[in-house]
Formats: sequence, structure tokens, C-alpha cells
Amino acid sequence: MQRNRLATGGRIDRQQSVSFTFNGKTYQGFKGDTLASALLANGVDVVARSFKYGRPRGIVGHGAEEPNAIFQLGKGAETVPNLRATQVELYEGLDAYSTSGWPSVDFDVMGSLGALGRLMPPGFYYKTFMRPKKLWMTYEHFIRKAAGLGKAPLEADPDTYDKLNQHCDVLVVGAGPAGIAAAREAASTGARVIIADEQNEMGGSLLASTHSIGDQLAATWLVEQLAELSALDNVLLLPRSTVFGYYDHNFLAVLERRTDHLGLTADKGSRQRMHRVRAKQVVLATGAIERPLVFANNDVPGVMLASSVSTYVNRYGVAPGTALVVFTTNDKAYQTAIDWHQSGRIVKAVVDSRPAPCGAIVKAVQALGIAVITGSGVIDVVGKKRVQAAKIAALSDDGQEIRGEIQTLECDLIASSGGWSPAIHLSSHTGAKPRWNDSVVGFVPGESMQQERSAGAGKGTFSTAACLYEGASAGVEAAKLAGFGDGLVSFVTPSTQELPEEAQQALFLVPHTKTSSRAPAQFVDYQLDVTAAGIELAAREGYESVEHVKRYTAMGFGTDQGKLGNINGMAILSKALGQSMPETGTTIFRPSYTPSTFGAIAGRDVRALFDPERYTATHRWHESKGAAWEDVGQWKRPWYFPRGSESIHDAVNRECLAVRNSVGILDASTLGKIDIQGPDAAEFITRIYTNSYLKLAAGKCRYGVMLKEDGMIFDDGVTACLGENHYLMFTTTGGAAGVLAWLELWVQTEWPELQVYFTSVTDHWTTATVTGPNARKVIAKVCEDVDLSAEAFKFMDWRDGTVAGVKARIFRISFTGELSYEVNVPAHYGRHIWEALVSAGEEFDITPYGTETMHVLRAEKGFIIAGQDTDGSVTPADMNMNWVVGKTKTFSFLGKRSLARSDSARENRKQLVGLKTLEPSTVLPEGAQIVNDPNEPIPMAMQGHVTSSYFSANLNHSIAMAVVKGGLTRMGEVVYCPLADGRTVAAEIVSSVFYDPKGERQNV
Amino acid sequence: MSEAVQEKMTRESPVVRRESPLHYVIDTEVSPGESKDTKGCAVVLREVQAKGYLTLRGNSNEASFTDGVLAALGVSLPTQPGTCLKSDDISIYWLSPDEWMLTTPGGTEAELQARLRENLSGHFSVVDVSGGQTSINLSGDEVHGVLKKSSAYDFDELVFGVGRCTQTTFAKATALVSKRADGSFDLIIRRSFADYIFSWIADAAGEYGFKALREI
Repeated sequence: MQRNRLATGGRIDRQQSVSFTFNGKTYQGFKGDTLASALLANGVDVVARSFKYGRPRGIVGHGAEEPNAIFQLGKGAETVPNLRATQVELYEGLDAYSTSGWPSVDFDVMGSLGALGRLMPPGFYYKTFMRPKKLWMTYEHFIRKAAGLGKAPLEADPDTYDKLNQHCDVLVVGAGPAGIAAAREAASTGARVIIADEQNEMGGSLLASTHSIGDQLAATWLVEQLAELSALDNVLLLPRSTVFGYYDHNFLAVLERRTDHLGLTADKGSRQRMHRVRAKQVVLATGAIERPLVFANNDVPGVMLASSVSTYVNRYGVAPGTALVVFTTNDKAYQTAIDWHQSGRIVKAVVDSRPAPCGAIVKAVQALGIAVITGSGVIDVVGKKRVQAAKIAALSDDGQEIRGEIQTLECDLIASSGGWSPAIHLSSHTGAKPRWNDSVVGFVPGESMQQERSAGAGKGTFSTAACLYEGASAGVEAAKLAGFGDGLVSFVTPSTQELPEEAQQALFLVPHTKTSSRAPAQFVDYQLDVTAAGIELAAREGYESVEHVKRYTAMGFGTDQGKLGNINGMAILSKALGQSMPETGTTIFRPSYTPSTFGAIAGRDVRALFDPERYTATHRWHESKGAAWEDVGQWKRPWYFPRGSESIHDAVNRECLAVRNSVGILDASTLGKIDIQGPDAAEFITRIYTNSYLKLAAGKCRYGVMLKEDGMIFDDGVTACLGENHYLMFTTTGGAAGVLAWLELWVQTEWPELQVYFTSVTDHWTTATVTGPNARKVIAKVCEDVDLSAEAFKFMDWRDGTVAGVKARIFRISFTGELSYEVNVPAHYGRHIWEALVSAGEEFDITPYGTETMHVLRAEKGFIIAGQDTDGSVTPADMNMNWVVGKTKTFSFLGKRSLARSDSARENRKQLVGLKTLEPSTVLPEGAQIVNDPNEPIPMAMQGHVTSSYFSANLNHSIAMAVVKGGLTRMGEVVYCPLADGRTVAAEIVSSVFYDPKGERQNV
Repeated sequence: MSEAVQEKMTRESPVVRRESPLHYVIDTEVSPGESKDTKGCAVVLREVQAKGYLTLRGNSNEASFTDGVLAALGVSLPTQPGTCLKSDDISIYWLSPDEWMLTTPGGTEAELQARLRENLSGHFSVVDVSGGQTSINLSGDEVHGVLKKSSAYDFDELVFGVGRCTQTTFAKATALVSKRADGSFDLIIRRSFADYIFSWIADAAGEYGFKALREI
């Protein structure tokens, strides 16, 4: 039974009944309803309990401004918090809940506190729950529960969200009369136009209008305009799309709700789509939001915005009450009296604060037999869960004082209007400073900071005719600046037969017989329960800046960002401080205009698509062998290859032994590779690395270390001379892009006289490292045109030849300390060459190994990994690698000067050493701190830390690399690692080369 | 030495077939230009038959360089930012003021490199990067939807016509994008990112109807 539903009228479809539940109870509405209009149709008065005092609250508004009807929709994974019922389209099975009120909105325990409201002034929580500090978390839990902030879903969201990048010449925000006129005019120039509107239907104020445009009803005119716009190829219409943020460089974020109104998980495409719009020009036709008046008990359900009452009647065919009192400071709200009267219900009176209003619409209302009580105001409301009566008093001419007796007028609905606040939010996002306008009685957009202009009610222009003209002008101006059209308006503004209006009165807080602090609460910010008394108290306590008052009282901090309350609050503050509105100024709106879902912000950058996974050409082979993966940058590298039920330790031990005893194969394709060509290539490389490449002959390779200007190691690798003025540089896997950028930086900015070009060839090559005592035998089986003998093809040589029928480069370089051949072929032959090598190695039980085994084997040899054993704070000397630093180079190299800094050159720096635990099977955790005396009281003197640590199956002993103060002079000493688990591990300082100290095995 | 090595390095191997980066993710094999099972698909991705790719670097203010390229390729080097030239066999894409990407039929890259080296002198660089790239062609009525989901670049016909190219962010990787006269788009992408980009496109195109083909 929809007791408040009118028999006719509205844009709803009475043929399509829609069933929904609210707080567990089932109701009926119609297609075309919002959740709010359907609740009002069903006579649901109390929809929430207030944030702080638990007071019963009803629906106040009809759009983005709604502060009370903020609900949780659905349950489980699909639940969505913080939705405004006024913007939720009704669908079959919709399931909504109040987030406030415990145990229910009708009976609320916190509500009893409402009577004690005076005990909870601004700063109440700060003042009350200060001590003891450690209990704050406990207090906060209960405060949050009582406040009713909604719940985030705990399960993964089953819906899909995506993002679309849009480009246009003109973006029009808002599809009311101004926006439609702007879009039409801009589109007629051929410019690419996007028009976005947050409502399910475009039209803005016209959707609830009973007026005519030209010789048509507004609704009919609207249909024609929209049909014309949709027919244009250069126009994109985005209904249900909120432009929620305006960012630098005319970049705007638009949230399109695509399937929310259907209440279904879309089987195709996304539920919500974020349009990331880069617009050359923007027209903000965002409209205005009606401002409620502040009077005692103005939060009792049944007190609504005047325009909202009209909207429910005209657009939804819902009359949310029976007997109406209109309370206004302006002519516009008189329309609500007319609309209500025409719906067949009673208008008790229009209460106008102005002493002698006599405009055309006032006379029209009086002509309908409706009482107009002038020079008066509603100062208080009778009723708790629904308005029962309005208390009305005569006011002084300026509305600031009560004059005369108070009369009580029975009614169940009070429509209030204190004027209209232009929706300047998006303009504010750009940094434009809002300007107070006395005739608008509101802030209007400030001087544009970006390529935008406002039009219509958003700029303080309220008549439909003026909005149409202003929109059209803004549209052609925007198009012209974007390079389209001549800037001349072709649109003929239709006549709208609007009545001339008289000036409104600037009234915000309506006086009471008692002072604000004594009177019943006069609410300014409904969502966060901020009262006039609270703001006045803040002023008395010394808060002067509007930004400070905002933070102290929480005014405007709700999800509604104070769309209704801010101006009233600022006016009350101004009065308390005895200054003007421009002097007080306004807080600045920031994105988002209305809340957006995290899903839409994430888009498709989730799960497997969250970050690129880079694969080598042999990825699928590794996969087929059950490789466990290690993420190295974005690369997926085989970590180890477990056989059967092998643990990582078993697998790594087996792989390590296989390499030292026979032969292993590693996919080293991820190493960065940079092709370097040019007459100054050798000179350039010599400046970048610490050692010299001037005499490196073709066919030879050399290991080098790169330093930043501060003398600290940042990358290392082998560089090969491919021919005259032609080199190939290997970098670490993770450092590839950074090194290339580093090289380009130096040649482009510091040494432009050097003729050298770089090209990344990382992806071009597949690198298969065959290593171990049997490596030569394996290579010999697949390569016939290279003399592999130790004499002809030495360690640190490279040769080109044919491997398994493919032209290849073979490098005799080694990261294991064993005889090694790194076979490089273009990656499209990668898998072929890999399988050929594996098959050739079968008789030697060739063992594929991963990064973990690679790490252990190189640690056995004391080879550093840049980024693991180095951390940006170590020099080559710290790493015991002075041998790689060319002392006699003619030109300096990067970082050289810093090596002579007193701190870089001092004794007792942390130096790279080996550690052998006294207990051989104990493996130190990497990062473990090192001290000299385990019994020293805390804080202990730190001597360094472990950088790499493994169990070496080849040595049957745990090994570690560490940086220790003065470590190179402390060989044989025992140091201690106190661990987080309470153990202390003792270890002996040894050489960092644990295995084959003379390096004989790689030279065979 | 360098030239000789380069030439030897890039000589096509006659016995082993090239394996494209999307070999393992696109099942439907077609001949170049052939279509299969694309009915009802508003987005079709086609991995183009393996091509040769060279990166060329040099100073386009020097006539010896531009003349040398013209002599070697028969077409002039595009020197306007964001432009490309495509002929039947060879395409040249402007990448930066001193860098171009050249594509040539698969297997002819060594020959093309030799021709360039023959005609060029002074300071320049030519590098074979054929193993590290693949080309995919995106066509269909909803191709712009996929591009809008993937890149912040404006690919509208008004601003990005035939003859334009851009190396830009594509999802979280990069692609070198250009347009064909038939309205479809060519993307040159790096091998190691190919799986990711393919997955991204398949996901983005899913709502429109999507088919992937691999030319062999």
C-alpha cells in the first residue's frame, strides 16, 4: 500500500511494480522510482539515526545532497555502503539497510543520548576520551559502531569494473537546461562533445518542471533535444555518470554506473566504468542545491527541502505528507505550494521571512486561497519521529529577532528554502577561489584556473531562459577555444513565460525564543550532527578560521561534504565573529563530489592483470617441468625445479651438486642487454665503469662495476667487444631499464660530444647458460663450427657459431665459478635451442636450475649480487673489489672522485666478508645484525649485517656473506648474530670466497 | 669486423622455424590475411607473421644519413615526430629524434641491415631486434573501445590517421601503435610483455566478442 502515491503524474511507470526490502521489510514501488521516492510513497518516515545523538531522521533531499538516507545495499560480497537513497534507482529485489540505529532505527539506544545532546559539544570525543590514551582504540570501536558508518564488504567483489580513456573538445557537466544548450551548440560546430549527468535521465531541473519551454511542455522539449543530441556522431551522452573530480590539465574523472540500476552482476562488461576524460574545454552546468533553513528541531522527519517536495510530487508522483507548511526566504519555494496544492493536498501556509513580499508568484499563491504569513519564520518543530506542527513567530525585518507571539500550525510536512547554493564543487577542485555573491546569497565559481567556464544555476543564474542562453553561449565559446566554430550562438532562446522574481532575503539561522545554546538543537550539518550552538561554541572557544571550525566541529566532513550545511555554518560563524561572509570565506571542496567505489578506481588492474608478468621464450618449458617461480622485477624466473615431493632445500641441494659435479642449465634471458655502437663507445663505457675497456679486443669480455656519482655500486655485469666500436653490455635483470636510462642521461646531458648510440636488446636474445665440468661436452654435441678447446676459446672470450642449426653467440663467462658457456640466440629460436641443449645434456644428467641455486653457487664463489650484497651505500673497496677499479685511467670514471672522500676512504667501513656459523647446519637469516659481544646490554653496538646466506650442499656447511666493520682485518674472529627468536648464532669471519679460491674450475 | 659479425649473426637459419611470442596463447593458425571464425566478433586480434625488426639510430640533420637511408630503403626517413611510412615490405616508424624502428619481411633483416651499412657512413647504429618483438593487428567495429581501455593516447580518426605512429603506454606495458588504411591498428610490442598484453586485450575485448588469430 503506497499511501503517499498520487493517482496520476510523474515519470514513473505505474504498470511496472517493483518489490524491494528496507531493513528487512518488503515494500512496493514503481519502475522509475528512486529508493527514496519509493520509501516516501510507502510512508516510511524514519530511515536513519543521527551520527552523534541517535535522533530519528527522515529523507530531506532528492539528489546528491541527501544527508540522512545513506544506506547499505545488499549483503555479502556485493554489499555496497554509503549509497544515497535519493540516487539509487529502484529495482526488483533491492535490499537496503540503515547503517545507523542500534538495535533499529525505530528504537535506538543512542537516541536516549539525544536528550543529553548538550553534553556532547564539539570536541566531545577529544575532550572526553583523552585519557587513558591506550583505551582510545576501545572507545573508538564503540563510537564507530554507534555512529553507523556502513560496512565494507569482506569478500572479493564479484563485479567487474573498468576504465576508459576519453578525449573530447568540450565536456559538458550536467544535462539540465544550461548543459543541454551548451552541448547542442558545441556539437553544432563539429567539436567532439561529451555530456555527462549523474541522474538516470538527463534533464536536470526540467524533469520535475511543470513549466513550458516555447510552446511545449518542458518534458516534451527535453525529449526532442536529447533525441537530436543522441543522433549526432560527435556527441557522447553519459547518463548515470557523475563527474566526481576535476584535476590538473583539464583531466576529469567520471564514474558511470552501468548496471547498478539493474541490481545484477553483469555477465558481460562492467558494473561501473570510470571515464578518464581529457577535455580541451569544459562547461560546468552543475546546477544548484537548495539550502535548508536552520531552526530548532529542523531535523525531525517531515522537514524537507522545498524543491525536494516539488520533485517528489512532480517527478515521482509521491506526496510525502498531507498538510504542508512552506517556509521560505525567496519566491522560488512558492512553486512548491502550487505543486502541492495541485496534487490535491492541503497547504497550511507559506511562511515568508520577508516583511512584504508581493511578487507575481506570491500573488498567484494567494489567488489559490493559500495563506501567506509574511515577515515570519518557523522557529521550532513539534514532533519526534514525524512533524506534528510548526511553531511560527513574527520576525524583525532583517529576520534576526523574534517579534510577537508564537503560533502553532498543525502540519506533517515542512518544506524549507533558504535560497540556492550553486554547485561550485568541480570549479573548486581546480583551485578556483569561490566568490560570495550577495544577490545570489551564495558562493559562485571563482576565476577559472583551467579551461573551463560555468553556466546556469551553477553560476548563480536561475531562470530557465537565462540558463538556456548562458549554456548556449558557454558551449560555443568552449568550442571556439577548442578550435571549432565562430563563437556565435545560433540557438534561439525559447520563451519560458517565467514570472519575474523579487529579491530574496539572506537568512540562515532562524532565531528562537532561547539562545542557540539553550534552544532545542538547530541542525546545520545533518550527517555529522553539527548544530548552530556547536559552531557558536567553537567561535567562543577561539576558532576563527573556517577551516579550523570545520575540523573542530566536523561540519562538512561527512560523505555529503556539507552540501546542505556548509553555507549556513559559515553564515553562523560569520555572525558569531561579527564579520561578513567574504571575510569568513569558505572551505574548499575537494574530490570526490560524491563517493566512488574502489572497484572503479582499480578497474581491470586487478588479479592477473594487476602488473605485467614478463616471460622468457622458454617460459612454457619451465612451466611444463613444474618450476617454482621467483618474481624478479616483472619477470617470472624459475626459482627451482622440484622433482616429485622435493622441498625447496632438497631441490636446491640437488641442483647445486649437479652443477659442480656434472652440468646444469639456467635460463639467463632476463639479464639486461644493451647494444652500444659508435666511435666513442669504448671511451664512454670506460667512463661509466670503474675499469677500462679501451683495450678490450673483439671476441673478449670484461666484468665491470658501475658507480653512481657518490661512488657507490649500483649495477654490475659483463661487457663484450663485438667488433670495432661495437659492444654488448649485460646488466642485472632488475637494473636493465635503469642502466639504459643512466647511459642516455650521461650522453645526452653531460657528454654530448661522445658519439655513441644505445639500443636495448634484452628481449631479442634468449640466453641459455650451460655450466659445470661437463659443459664443454654438451656444447660440443650441438656446435660444430667453434673450436671449443681451452686454448682456442678461453675464459672471458666469446665466439659466434652455429648451435643446433641456429646462429648463436657463445660467451665463456661464469657466475658459478665452473666451466660455463652462455649460448645466445634470437628469442624466436629460444625454445628450440634450450631443448637441443637439454637433449644434448641428457647423457650427463643435465639439470635445469633456478635462481635459488644460482644464488647459492655464486655465494660459494663470493660473487656479489648488486642490490642484494650492495645497498647503494657500498664502494668497490667495501666489497673487497679494488681489483675492478682502474687507477690509471686517463679520464675519470663516474664516482671516482667520491671514492677519495674522507668517509669513503676511512678505515673500519663495513666490508664484505664470509661468515661460517660455528654450528654448520645453522643458516643465518639474511638481514641478521652482527655484534661483537652477545652479552652487551641493549642498545648493542652493531657491527654490520648478513647480506646473503644459504646452506651449501657442496661444502656441507652453511655459508653467508656479510658486511662487517673492518671485516677484512678480522679474519678468524668470532662474531654473534642475536636473532628475533631469541637465539644467538656465533659465526667465524672468513674469506667471502668459500669454494675454489684460486678460480681454477672456470679456467679449464 | 663489426659488420661482418653482424651480418653473420643475423643470417636466417633455414632449418628451424621461428616461434612467435604468442605461439602458446593463440590456437587458431591462419595464413597471412586469412580469417577464421571471426563472425560476431567486434574485435579481432591477429598476430602477424614473423617479421624482421631493426632499430636504426643516427642524425637526421646530416644529409649523408638521410640520403643513405633513402638509398638503402628506397623511401625517405620520416623525420616528423610521430609519423611512419609503410610500403609493401618495409615500414619505418619515428621513435625519437634520432631513433627509428624498421620492419621487413621475416628473414630479410640481415640483408636489409647489410644494405643500410653499405649506404651509411659516419656515426650511426643498426641493431637487429627481431627476436624481441611481435606485431599484432587489431580490427573490428569496437577496436576503439579496446584502445580506450588500454591507452591514454587519443586514437580518434581526427587526430590519429594513417601515417601517424606513437610509442605509448598500453595497459601497464608499451606498444608502438599505427593505423592502417582499413581502419585497423598495428601494434608492435615486446616479446616479454606479449602474454600480458594479449591477456589484457582479450579481457578488454571480451564484452564485444573477441577472436585471436595467429599467422604462420
